[in-house]
Amino acid sequence: MNNRLKVLRAERDWSQQDLADRLGVSRQSVNAIETGRYDPSLPLAFTISELFGLPIEAIFSRD
Amino acid sequence: MTFRNRATRRYIRIHLSLSVLYIALVLLASLFIPDNAAPTPMVILFALLPGLVVLGWIWNMGSLLVNMEDEYLRMLEVRKMLWATAITLSICGGWGLVELFAAIPRLPVFFVFPIWCVGLALGQLINKLTLGDGGTCA
Repeated sequence: MNNRLKVLRAERDWSQQDLADRLGVSRQSVNAIETGRYDPSLPLAFTISELFGLPIEAIFSRD
Repeated sequence: MTFRNRATRRYIRIHLSLSVLYIALVLLASLFIPDNAAPTPMVILFALLPGLVVLGWIWNMGSLLVNMEDEYLRMLEVRKMLWATAITLSICGGWGLVELFAAIPRLPVFFVFPIWCVGLALGQLINKLTLGDGGTCA
């Protein structure tokens, strides 16, 4: 799965730790999702979507 | 990341407390049970007391998985445990088969749990090599 998390985060000038704090997860989680090593669960994907104010499909896409 | 630290800190605190208790109970059992003692109920009870601590360790690990709120870190822990289980079953199954057909020393059942713990460390290494993150503890 591909995602635009890194771009969206950069647009807001947030560090990985900033995003992790806002999502209530660890920095390792944000790093793993950004680099495609881990696909988030549906609840976490919804949290990410709500945080950025975008639909899930605007953040995540199939390979 | 305080939520993660809370679950991990709790795990480590309980684990260390149980470890101290385990050492104390093994020392007590060694002190009061003579070598090659007959398997009386009292001797079996004394010998099983450290086994209760082993159950406590297992409960603590399960509790860590339940209390970890970070799904990625929890996944790393689960992967470690699966690797540990695979390694333990492979060693014990393989050794057991060789025992059946060759005159090699028997693998004491006592070593199953320590082998599993070594498997955890290997699982952490495998996580690090394959995912870039080892995991939080254990």
